[in-house]
Parts: sequence; C-alpha cells; structure tokens
Amino acid sequence: ETIITLNKAKIKIWVLTGDKQETAINIAYSCNVFEDEMDGVFMIEGKDSETILQELRGKMKPESLLESDPVNIYLKKKPKRTFTMPEELPRGDYGLVINGYSLAFALEGNLELELLRTASLCKGVICCRMTPFQKAQVVELVKSMIKAAHIGVGISGQEGMQAMLNSDFAFSQFCYLQRLLLVHGRWSYNRMCKFLSYFFYKNFVFTLVHFWYAFFNGFSAQAVYDTWFITCYNLIYTSLPVLGLSLFEQDVNETWSLHFPELYIPGQHNLYFNKKEFVKCLIHGIYSSFVLFFVPMGTIYNSERSDGKDISDIQTFCLIVQTSLIWMVTVQIALKTTYWTMISHFFIWGSLGFYFCILFFLYSDGLCLMFPSIFQFLGKALSQIWLSLILSVILCVIPAFGYQFLQPLVFDRINHCKTRPPQVRVRTKLKHPSLRRSAYAFSHKQGFGALITSGKTTKTKPNKKNSFPVKKKESSDISTRIVAFQEKSISGVPSTIPLKF
Amino acid sequence: MNWGGGGRKLMPDNSAMKQQKLPAHQLHFSARVVLTIFFATGVFCFCMGVILILSAQSIQEIEVCPILLYLFFWYWGLNPGGDVYMYYKLYGFYQNHYRYVLSRSNNQLVGKDIMVRDVEDCAPFKVSQNKTPIAPCGAIANSMFNDTIILSYTLKSSVHIQVPMLKTELTWWTDKYVKFQNPSLINLSDRFVGTEKPPYWQAPIYELDTSDPGNNGFLNDDFIVWMRTAAFPTFKKLYRRLYRVQYFMDGLPAGNYSFNISYNFPVTRIKGEKSVVLSTLTWSGGSSLFLGLAYTVTGAFLWLASFALMAIHMTMKKKKLSYRR
Repeated sequence: ETIITLNKAKIKIWVLTGDKQETAINIAYSCNVFEDEMDGVFMIEGKDSETILQELRGKMKPESLLESDPVNIYLKKKPKRTFTMPEELPRGDYGLVINGYSLAFALEGNLELELLRTASLCKGVICCRMTPFQKAQVVELVKSMIKAAHIGVGISGQEGMQAMLNSDFAFSQFCYLQRLLLVHGRWSYNRMCKFLSYFFYKNFVFTLVHFWYAFFNGFSAQAVYDTWFITCYNLIYTSLPVLGLSLFEQDVNETWSLHFPELYIPGQHNLYFNKKEFVKCLIHGIYSSFVLFFVPMGTIYNSERSDGKDISDIQTFCLIVQTSLIWMVTVQIALKTTYWTMISHFFIWGSLGFYFCILFFLYSDGLCLMFPSIFQFLGKALSQIWLSLILSVILCVIPAFGYQFLQPLVFDRINHCKTRPPQVRVRTKLKHPSLRRSAYAFSHKQGFGALITSGKTTKTKPNKKNSFPVKKKESSDISTRIVAFQEKSISGVPSTIPLKF
Repeated sequence: MNWGGGGRKLMPDNSAMKQQKLPAHQLHFSARVVLTIFFATGVFCFCMGVILILSAQSIQEIEVCPILLYLFFWYWGLNPGGDVYMYYKLYGFYQNHYRYVLSRSNNQLVGKDIMVRDVEDCAPFKVSQNKTPIAPCGAIANSMFNDTIILSYTLKSSVHIQVPMLKTELTWWTDKYVKFQNPSLINLSDRFVGTEKPPYWQAPIYELDTSDPGNNGFLNDDFIVWMRTAAFPTFKKLYRRLYRVQYFMDGLPAGNYSFNISYNFPVTRIKGEKSVVLSTLTWSGGSSLFLGLAYTVTGAFLWLASFALMAIHMTMKKKKLSYRR
C-alpha cells in the first residue's frame, strides 16, 4: 500500500537489487512498483553498447534518433558546461528493467545520458543483478539528475544495521516511509517555504525604509530607527514567532496528508518557493516599506501635538516607524500561521508585548540619567502615533490578505481551465499478457515456469482479479522479503532507496 | 530486531510536542469572514477619516513669509478663538543629516561634563581656536535659530501694542526636567568658566535669559526646542505661545497685525527659506489634512474592494457549480 500511495504522489520508485531478473520483476509486480495497467515495460538486455543504445532510444521515443533532439545535439557538440536534462512528460506509464550486465555498458559515457533520460520517463525502474559498486554508480547518476537535496532512508532488517548507520533517516518498516514523506516531508517543505518568504519580507521592509528616507536626509545615511531597535529587531523582537512557525505549522493535518498523496506534488515542482515567489516577496516588501515610511511622514510632517509641542522630530518619527514595523510584521505572521497552538499565541503576542516593555524600559527616565549618551530617546506615545500605526498596518496587510483570498479562487481556477481534468484511471484489460508473471514470487529454473503459468497445476482465479488475493496473502511476507533482499546484497555499500522529491 | 534496550532509549518521547500532536486551532478564512473584515475596516477608516478632516478644517493657520526685513502688515480676517501658537518654519534645512544629528554631547547637556573631555562627535565645534572647550558643543547647538519675532496689534490707528507671548512651556516635559540640566542653579556663569560660546552665537549660554533662571543656561526653552532635531528638511518649531490676558483673552481678535523681525538666521546661504506660522490646534494636532485624507481614501478603497471581492466570489461560485454539473 505504501508504494501505491507513493505512486499517487508521483514519486518514482527505483529498485536496485542483486537478484535475478524474473525474481525482481515478480517482486515489482507484487509491490505495485509495476502495475498490470502500465502501458509498457521495457527490458534492456543488450550485450553491447550499440544494442543497448537502440533499445534505450528506439523503444521509448523513436524520434530521439533524430538530429534535432537536444540530447543528440549535446552529445555531438560536447560543450564544457553541464547539461540540464529537459523535463519531458511521458505519454503513459512505463516501466524499465535493466540487468547488471547491460548496466555496465549503460553507465559509460554517452549511454549514461540515454539511460537517465529513458529512466526518468518511467514510473518504476528495476535494476537487477547489480553489484554493490554498480548500485553506488546508479545512485550517483540519479543524484546528478536531482538538483534538489535528497535524503537516504535506511530500513533495518534481520541481517544487520549497515543501511541504518549510513542513512539520514532509519526506521523499521517500509510503511513508515509514507508518513516520512507525505506527512513530515510535506510539512517540512511547507514550513521551510513559509519561513523563507516571511524572513525575506520582514528584512526587506526593515531595510528599504532607509531607501525612501535617503531622499529626505540629503542622502546622508541617517537611520530611521533607534540603534537599539536595529540590534534587537532580528534577534529578539521577531525571532520567536518565526521559530514557532517553522516548528509547528501544519497546513493540512496528517490524516488528510496521508489520504491525499497528490498534495505532495507541489514540493516536487518547487511551487511554494521559487524565483516567482521571491519576486512577490520583494514587491510586497517594497510596497510595505513605502507605506511604512510615507504614512508616518505624512502624519508628522506639518503637524504638532495638541498642546502645541513638537512632534516632527527624529525621535518621534523613529518611534512611529519602529512600532508600525513591529505591528506590521506581527500581523503578517499571524496571517501566515494557519495552525495556532498555545505556543504560537505565546510567541507572537508575547513578542509584541515584549517590544512594548522594552520600549518603556529603554526609554525611561532612569536609564537616561545613568547613561545619557547611550539612551537618548525619551518621550511619550500620542494619539497621532496610534492613528498612523493603525493606518499603516491596514494599508500593508489588506492587500496581502485580499491576494491570499483571491489566489485559490481566481488564479488556480485559470490554470485548471487550461489543462483538461485528469482522466480517472480505469482498470483496463491487461495490455501485455506475455509479461504475466508466474504465481510464485521466486523462480528457480526456467523449465518449471512455463508449466506453472499454463494454469494446469493450480486452481487460480481469472487473470484480472489475480493480483489482489496474491497481494493480500503475501503482503506481510513481501515487506520482510524486500528487507531481507536488501540486506543480503550488502557488502560494504548501503542499499538505500534513492527517492526523487 | 536487535536493538534491545538501547534502541528504546533512542526513541523520541511520546509527548504531544515531539510527536507534532499539539492541540491547536486551525485558522481558515472563509469568504464571509474576509468580506466582513474588508467591509468593517472600510467603514472604520472612512469614519475616522471624516472625523479627522473635520477637526483639521476647524483649525486656522496662517503662514507669513517675511520678505521685508522689518515691518510687515497683515490683516487677520478671521477670529481664531482659543490658544494661538507661533512657529518659525524653515525650508531646506537638513537637521536630519547623519553627521549633524550626531554632533552633540548629551553628557554635557545633562550638566555632568561641561568640559567635554571624551566626546569626539562634536568636532569641529568641540574646542575653539585657542583650545578652550565650547559649551554647548556640536553643530546642532552652533546653528541655533536666533531671529527675534515680535507680533504687534493695531488697537487704534497709530496705537500698536505688542501681543503678549509666553516663552516657557514650549518643550517636552522629559526634555526640560530630565535630558537637559544645568550644572548648578545659582551662579551659572561661574560654572561655565573655562568654556567658550559657540562661534555663531552672539551671547554665551548662561546669558540666554538672565531674567529667569529656569530658562537660562541649558534649560533655555528655545535652545531645547532647537536641539530636538527635526526629521525632515521642512519643519516648524514652536517659538512662542499666546498669553491670554487683556485684549487677547479669547485669542487674537480681528484687526491689523504686524511683525517685527530681527533677521539673524542666514537661510539664503543654505538656499533655504524661512517663515512664521500662527496656528490654533485641536485634539488631532495641526492643520495637516494628510491623516484625514488617507483614512478616507483607504476607507473608500476598502469598500470598493469588498464589493469587487464579493462579485468575484459570486461568479466563481456559479462557475464552480456549473463546472461540477
């Protein structure tokens, strides 16, 4: 079931094993790495480079033999810079089987690219009869294809702890992989993206105010904030809310994450934080800094207090801008947080309250008398400050709020209309009855296989329904068998499953 | 499994925090909530804006640019009641320049360190040419505004009386009583022995207001007001307040007024300008319309936005239903 769920999340499974081809294929079918409904399963069994090349290209994409193909162009020219594989979408579900002997040729030179290209179009890849060294080579090859970070997961088995010791995550059962990827992996990606975009935003706002002020202070780099505020801003006032967001944020709870593996797909395509999102962050930061500067400026520009005293001095201006900034970023993170635990409340509102405490403390009379040159800012809050603050917060937050509301309504709708809705997979008749495996998971000799598959010696149900009873009966055994597989073939090289995120 | 006891110790606790199972409230903004927020905020902003505009409109303010050096006639058409404040306004004077803002000695101004031994920020106004320390040091003090502005009222033809003005209570309380302090209350001139006045000043610090020791030395209100550096190159600073006695009990009566200004402060050198402003005030501060206008515009915009969002939401809902069908 784990593999079915992972397949739904568009995660491709590669199985690297040292076992025989038929055994490996049987296992693949039992575990749903290959499905009966797949459009094709390609076997690469060539004994030399040319045959393998033909097999790799001809079967998957006949037009890849043409001159205009980008890979062909690259191979001809051999430029110095690294080649990025163009993203290609397969026109159906395919599987690939390659044995160790062919792999030895396929991992050399030009064929490496071909193998990569063909393999990345397949839903599942079985590499059988592999030596440990070849396993490492394949992992290296796939690593170079995956530009994002990846993890190694070791599943401990009866036969030793080699895999566990060398991996980033280790657990005891294969089915825990589901939770690791679909729940924790997804949450982690989501949190990381929110953290990044918020952090960039808050620092853009903080810094870009000085850009606007430069036009009014003779470009003399006079700061808009009190020096203590600059010190404490990232360290004290805004650090805890971000920490809370990164530790506890859940956009969808775990039951739903497991139920809908399709939610995993945005992570694979870098949808939540990419150049476009960064630019959005930047624009939001520029707009916020604009509001944050000009609203306080307009408030105090030609104004006085109600008793006639001065309000258009640097100290008041700094105070207004600082306080507006803190309020603004706090409200922004409050909007970004969708999962409000007690800790989130404490961090967010606590930081705000803490800012006001520090404000009254630092700007009190006592400290100024003790250290006049350091603590210069004294004064009180005024009604105009509050009005200006409220206005700046409203002006900054409302557009983001509206955009957040509109985005799923309007923009995603547009994208949906462009592509046709995905067809529901209907269980069709088997397309490749010739690949129908034997009723046994293990094969010993070729001779018996034909006899058994003819159905003469066993009473099995009709072909179509066969997969389910087999799976159910042997599912518990299969998982341990896979584990056993991997552990047996180890000799110094950890067998980890490279996973594409 | 071969882990045994060691493995169990390595397992994380089953606490709510470590297992990411903290009780929490999920925040989802439904369409109704969003639209309500937009609408309510719009109403609030609009009302606030209207109130602010109305209160700003009730203020009367007059700005006078003294082109001539001495006499200037003015007719006060309206009758402003209540307190009237007189300001001097400067254009193009960058009190917010980085180096300028730093050029002061707060230790000296509190009365602790008259001789300014350990502060380099005041340079080049730290010591005079013959190496005596300057009190008060720094560029801010040196460039103090030193025009004298006198307002006169024409009671009858050829009878002019000087409008009584107060020169105290111009500053923030914390400035007067905490941040600026004289080294001693009596014999101020003795305490400043060994120091010199700043180069641009006509009289030393202890002679700024000899009639009132509470307004002399560092405690001089005009001095303190000037030392509070402005945030923008165009600013106005409180100069005097109306003393509501005799004819001026209810503010400035209608009639002819004239200004008598001794022109000391050189703004033309810095390509700036100066003017005098007379103004009344309300709870919301001066006559600046900015806040009021900004709030009104924001309120109106939010209203429009909420209607637009509602329209979009309705159309999307209909589309969704038809799509499903």
